[in-house]
This record gives sequence, C-alpha cells and structure tokens, in this order.
Amino acid sequence: GGGAGVWTPRSLSCSTSPGSTVVALVPPASPTPLLLAQLAGELGSFPGILNVISGPASLGPVLASQPAIQKVAFCGALEEGRVLRRSLAGKCVELGLALGMESLLLLTDTADVDSAVEGVVDAAWSDRGPGGLRLLIQESVWDEVMRRLQERMGRLRSGRGLDGAVDMGTRGAAACDLAQRFVHEAQSQGAQVFQAGDVPPERPFYPPTLVFNLPPASPCAQAEVPWPVVVASPFRTAKEALAVANGTPRGGSASVWSERLGQALELGYGLRMGTVWINAHGLRDPSVPTGGCKESGCSWHGGPDGLYEYLRPSGTPTQVSCLSKNMNYDTFGLTVPSTLPAGPEIGPSPAPPYGLFVGGRFQAPGARSSRPIQDSSGNLHGYVAEGGAKDIRGAVEAAHQAAPGWAGQSPGARAGLLWALAAALERRKSTLASRLERQGVELKAAEAEVELSARRLRAWGARAQAQGHTLQVSGLRGPVLRLREPLGVLAVVCPDEWPLLAFVSLLAPALACGNTVVMVPSAACPLLALEVCQDIATLFPAGLANVVTGDQDHLTRCLALHQDVQALWYFGSAQVLFVLFCHIQHLTLPTGSSFSGNSPALLEFLLLRGETP
Amino acid sequence: MKVDMKSTDLSWISKIQVNQPAVLRRAEQIQARRTVKKEWQAAWLLKAVTFIDLTTLSGDDTPSNIQRLCYKAKYPIREDLLKALNMHDKDITTAAVCVYPARVCDAVKALKAAGCSIPVASVATGFPAGQTHLKTRLEEIRLAVEDGATEIDVVINRSLVLTGQWEALYDEIRQFRKACGEAHLKTILATGELGSLTNVYKASMIAMMAGSDFIKTSTGKETVNATFPVAIVMLRAIRDFFWKTGNKVGFKPAGGIRSAKDSLAWLSLVKEELGDEWLKPELFRIGASTLLSDIERQVSNLYLWSKLTGVFEKGIEKPN
Repeated sequence: GGGAGVWTPRSLSCSTSPGSTVVALVPPASPTPLLLAQLAGELGSFPGILNVISGPASLGPVLASQPAIQKVAFCGALEEGRVLRRSLAGKCVELGLALGMESLLLLTDTADVDSAVEGVVDAAWSDRGPGGLRLLIQESVWDEVMRRLQERMGRLRSGRGLDGAVDMGTRGAAACDLAQRFVHEAQSQGAQVFQAGDVPPERPFYPPTLVFNLPPASPCAQAEVPWPVVVASPFRTAKEALAVANGTPRGGSASVWSERLGQALELGYGLRMGTVWINAHGLRDPSVPTGGCKESGCSWHGGPDGLYEYLRPSGTPTQVSCLSKNMNYDTFGLTVPSTLPAGPEIGPSPAPPYGLFVGGRFQAPGARSSRPIQDSSGNLHGYVAEGGAKDIRGAVEAAHQAAPGWAGQSPGARAGLLWALAAALERRKSTLASRLERQGVELKAAEAEVELSARRLRAWGARAQAQGHTLQVSGLRGPVLRLREPLGVLAVVCPDEWPLLAFVSLLAPALACGNTVVMVPSAACPLLALEVCQDIATLFPAGLANVVTGDQDHLTRCLALHQDVQALWYFGSAQVLFVLFCHIQHLTLPTGSSFSGNSPALLEFLLLRGETP
Repeated sequence: MKVDMKSTDLSWISKIQVNQPAVLRRAEQIQARRTVKKEWQAAWLLKAVTFIDLTTLSGDDTPSNIQRLCYKAKYPIREDLLKALNMHDKDITTAAVCVYPARVCDAVKALKAAGCSIPVASVATGFPAGQTHLKTRLEEIRLAVEDGATEIDVVINRSLVLTGQWEALYDEIRQFRKACGEAHLKTILATGELGSLTNVYKASMIAMMAGSDFIKTSTGKETVNATFPVAIVMLRAIRDFFWKTGNKVGFKPAGGIRSAKDSLAWLSLVKEELGDEWLKPELFRIGASTLLSDIERQVSNLYLWSKLTGVFEKGIEKPN
C-alpha cells in the first residue's frame, strides 16, 4: 500500500486497489468524482481512502511531487503528460500515462456497412466514445458508406446529457472550441465538411461533424481528431490501410469491420494499437485491460494488468530517490571525457582491441579509437572499442532489421537459441572463469557465476515457451484475446558489477520475449560480454544482440535520445534504481507479477529527459 | 405496379452480410433511448391504433365473433374517452381487419352493415406453414380476392430460402403478385424460421423486387415472431430498396405485440430507421389482436392522470 496520486480529468479509474489510498485531481467542469468521493466518505470506516481535489491542470505536477506519493496515473492530453513526466524524472514515483482520446475505425468492403455506421456513431457521436474518430474506408464502398453515414447523422439527437432520449451530450465549451478550430483548419486545407443532426444551437453543443477529402499531406491529417469530429479517408488495400493506421503517432484503440474472419484477424493483429475490436467499437468490461501504445501512453486499466500496475512483489526493496540536484541534463554525457594515453606498456603485447559487436560481427568503431580496460591488480587487461553516437545508430538499425524476423519466430525456436547459448557458455567455462579471476573474483565464485548465467539462460528459454496469448471470456458477447507482443528494439545499459551475470540476465529476458537488443556492457569489464558475443556470433541471427562499448554516460545519452528505441533499461553507477536486479544472485526468477505494463519489456524507465514517452 | 428487376440483378444479393451481434446491440440501444412520455404518449397511442390490422386467426372463428371484431375495428376506443380527449371527430379506426379466407365474406358483410370502409385483409397461400401445393396456394388467393378481400397476406416458402433458391422464390412471389391482381400484397417472411439475419435481408429484398406492397415479419404462429433485430434488418432492406428504385414498400410486424408500451417502441423504431414518411397506415401496420384493449386501458389511465394534473384541458392536437 501507500499513497497514490491519481489525475483523471475524465473518469476516476478503479485505482483503489488493495491497500492503496487515492488522491484524485479532477477538472472543475466534472463534478461526478466529487459526488463519488462524498458517497465513499459516507461509508464511514476508513476516512481518507478516496480524496478528490477539483482544480486546473497545472496543479498536476504539484500534486505528483508531494513526498508521500508513490504512483501517479495520468489520463489526458499528450502535452500535459509530457510536462508531468519531465517533472517526475528522478523521483522514485511510478508513472502511468493514458494519453489521447482518438480512436480508429477500419471499414473494409466485406463489412456489414449499416452495422459499421452504427460503430462510427458509437465511437464518435455518443457518450461512450471519449474523442474523435479517424475513419478509414475501402474505396469500393466509399459512396455507400458516405451516404449511409450522412443519413444516419441526420437522425442523431444532441442535448443535455440527463435527457434520456438524446444520443450525445456536450463535453464543455473548451471541447467545443477545439472542435471548431480543427474544422476550420481542415476546411482551409481543402477538406469538405458535413454537419447534421438535431442539435441545440447554443455554444457548448457542437453538431456531429464529418470531414472528408482532406489531403493526406496536410497537418490536420496527422493531428489528433477532437470530439465530435470524424475524419474519413479512403484506402485501396488492406496493406495500405495498415500502413496508414500505424503511421499515426497515436496507438490507442481501433476497430476492424469485416465479415471475413481471416481478413479481420489479419488486420487486427497488424494494427499497433492497445485495443482492437472486431465488428464492434467501444466495448468495455472491467475485467478486460485497456491501454495504449506509442503516444497513447503506457499504462493499463482494468483486468489483471491494470491491477498489477498498483502492486509490487513482496520483498521488493523500497526505491531511493536518485534526484541529483547537481546533475545538468543538458550536458550529461554530451562528450566523452578525454583521457591521457596509457604509459608505455610492459609485458607481453596485449591482444588486438575488440571491436563493437554490431550486426552479427565485430566491427571497428566510427571513431577508430579504443579504451583500455584494467584488471583488479591495475594491469592492462585488454582494449575495447570507443563507441559513439554513430555506432549507436548503426547498432539500432541492425537491431531493427533483425526485429521482425525474431518477433515472428515461434517461442520454441527462441527457446532453442537461448539454450544453445547456455550450452556454449558452459563449454567455455574455464575461459570465462579465468577472465573473471583477473577482475578479482575468486575461482570458485567465478565458476558459480558462469554456471548461474547458463542456468538463467535456460530458465528464460523455458519462459519463452510458456508465454502465449490468453483468452478471456467476459460479458461482451465474444471472447477477448490478450496478446503479449514484443516491443521492438530494447536498449540495455548494464551495471558495473557482475559483468557476466548481469549481462546475461538482462539479455535473456529481452530476447526470450521477442525483442532485439542494443547493449552497453559493464564499464569496468566489458570483456566478459564481448566473450559471450563470440558465441552469439555463431549461434544467433545477425543483429539480434548488439554490443557497443565506450563511455557509459555518453552512450546512455545517445540511446535515450534515439527516437527509434522502444525502451531503455538503465542500471547505472550511483543511480541504480531498481535494486531488484542488484541482488540477482539471490533471487529466483521474477514471477509474472513483477512485470507490469503492456509487454514483457516491463522496466521501461528513462532517467534523462527522454522525449519519447 | 412495382418496378421489375431482372433476375440477373440477383448476384449482388449473395454478397450481402449482416453482422448479428452489432444488430442486437443496436436493437437494445433503440429501446433504451427513444421513449415517449406523458401527453405525447396519448397522441402516439391513438396513432398506433390507426396502424393496427385487427386480427383474428383461430380455429373457432364464427360469423358472430367476426362481427364483433368488425364493430371493434370501427370503434376501437370508447366514444366518451375520445370525446374527453377531443378526438372523437378525427375518424380513429383501425387500418384493416385480418381474417382467414373462409371468413372473408362474413367480414365484408359486417363492415358494410357498420357503414365502414376499412379494407378486409385475408391470409392466404397455406397460412401459416405454406407447405401446400403451389396450385392450391394460388387458388386460395384468387378465391379470397373474389370474396372481397382487398389485401392479401401471403406466406413465403421457407424451404426455398433455406436451400438458397433465390430465383425460385422470386418467381413464386411474382405469381402471387399476379394472382392478387389489384389487391394489396403483403409478403410474410416468417423470419423466425429463416435461420439468420442475412437470410432475412435477402428474403426481404427478393420479396420487394417481386412486387410486394408490404413485407411482414411473421405469421404470429411461430415460436419467435416480431423482434427488434429482425425488424432493423428488414427496415434497412426497405430503405436500401427505396434508394435503389424509388419505391416505398411498407412494413408490418406481427405476433407478440401485446402491450401499449411495445407498440410505442415499434413506432419509435420505424421513425428512427425510416423517418416520419413511413408512419402512415399506407406504409406501416401492426398485426395484433389483444393490443387494442391494452391501448384503450393505457389511454384511459393517461386521461385520468391528465385530469389530476390538468394537462389535457385544451384537448390534444391531432397526431401528425
């Protein structure tokens, strides 16, 4: 338990999970949460469980930075979410974001058009949908859909929400203005606008609006569509529809309308959205998790995933705030500190410097320089490449190229590769142990470390098998499929300690779940990681795991600012935030409960002012 | 006469698909959202009365109960109640009287004696199952028309729908149309036995293309009669047919409509899906028998309520 700060302008989500108390900040225009809090207060026994403050959005960061708050759940606009995230960086507060309210409707030519038109009404012109709708219509049924849609709009009734016979109410003057501005802009960019419906002419009421013939290159085509606007655009083939749908930066919810099961499922799987409905729109059930991808946030409400957002496995040590007042984010890791060259070398000539392991082979770094690595007695152990921004970019690109193939592999194939790597590590136990010894680890402990690493790989391989889609049946007249999808490319910055075990323990889960990785190994001794890379080179497809050595701060900065990295796991010098992984030698593998979020890549955490949510 | 469509046009029919869960959701929504209250309810109820095809289709029909029925058709609501609502001179009668073919003569006679010009509708073509030879089915229609029925309710051959023989269905209904001559043809689709909403849509289209003046949901004798999801599909078919050809075909739900509240829901549904133009006896009928007494009861309750609250002092406006 503990205090949780909740900011939900629209609805009070069920965040009073077992043991948490809630403080909610709601905009003054919506009194319902206040009523709810009053009713909760009347229940009597535990005053203070649900507290509601009515105030403007700017109070959000103030509330979130109160000392006793441990989790903040934010639901609202993208910009405000960004501000909140920035203000919380470095504090040990978990942040859940549910941004944006737009949804998408994909109408194919094999759909039941009348029912799909009802779907559009549900999505945009009723009180069930929170925002506007982006409507994609297959060209061959464009005329038919437009005609039915316009006819249906004519029969919509708008009015005060408490009148039972209206279809849609109003969202306030601000929403009305936003819609007005959007429509004017769309018109000025060449779109046609159709409005209809029985709507009172006063200001907070805005008629249902259909915008079409908007040129695809215009700015409105990428902006979020406000309530109650529907922006319709045509597509020719299913492939084109997916490209258009996945091309918007938002990934909230979408529906696919097609009476052909195969086509509906293919489109459903292909859409990068948090929730996809098939032949329905806007169906919700408390036991089904809802959330988003990309710019729509990364938190889940409802269902077991929603519950795990508010829980932590028992025994997890409490987090320590790592906010460093002296840290200047602008200059952090901007350049590599220069070092004097090492003195004259004595002893046998060292091995040639390792390169970077990118794209399945060792490559020279862009900067063509290397840094010395010292062993525990201060002697030179070897040289590793000095990686920079260019190398990071190359590594991420290689990882992206390998990502679709890896994600498409069956869990069995992934498990097989991880097991093969485990076997390879065991074969090279003596080499790895001797390297560890040079770093000051006792022989017995070194061998144990290698064994444990192999065991970890095997365990994660087994978990890859166990992961699957789960089916739930709820009161929604149909089954619900919960898919766990790989995120894409993960960047991992390993801690200094446990150069072998930490590296393997972070590599394995990412790969087991279908992601590809770019890793920055332990700064003190990256040689262990590079040894493992030699096995990876022979066993794994190219680009699956990429290792870049160099100045850790600089590389971290490059990774954090890279726009195409889906998540970053950081275990850094003085700022180790998830002490969990510091004790990896004591823990058994974490159970599912320690993973929260929409994908197996859980510990999504950004230390710096990463621009991507 | 209606526009003929060539049988080669039937290919687009096979591509039609109706999504059942979505239609069910829409049906629930309409019932929840369009309810009529208070003084408007009285007006709507009286309007509903003008849509009723007062029906008696029992084995024990005799001339005496037919006579009573015809009298009821002419005076559906008590005179004093209508006077109190100031509606006594608005000519409120039911739309038609519906009987078995053998009783058509009695109905015509009774209505003439009452001085009423309400049409007599007869069921035909092997009502309710339709499982008789085509020859006898056509003969039934002809005999009923001879006896004086000006509206004929025919039953389609469900086996043709279930085996997908759309052309044969079209031909049969064309033959019914010809046998009716000038009489008004209502085609009963018996939707409870058609198996799927897609079949309902297709059968509606075929019936309309073959020249029906009305399509009717059910005979009233099946296990499942007139339900909202089926009605939504049929109304969409009517609207699509109107958009394609410009011809307005009427709609008649029958069976299971017993309470005044039900009848209001049906009126809302038609208004919502097709608009006010279809809310006329020429394009909308309700097949019912006990509905009338319930409407009368409800109107009298509303009148008593109004006397307590003084709403109807000036009488109600004629329903449009």
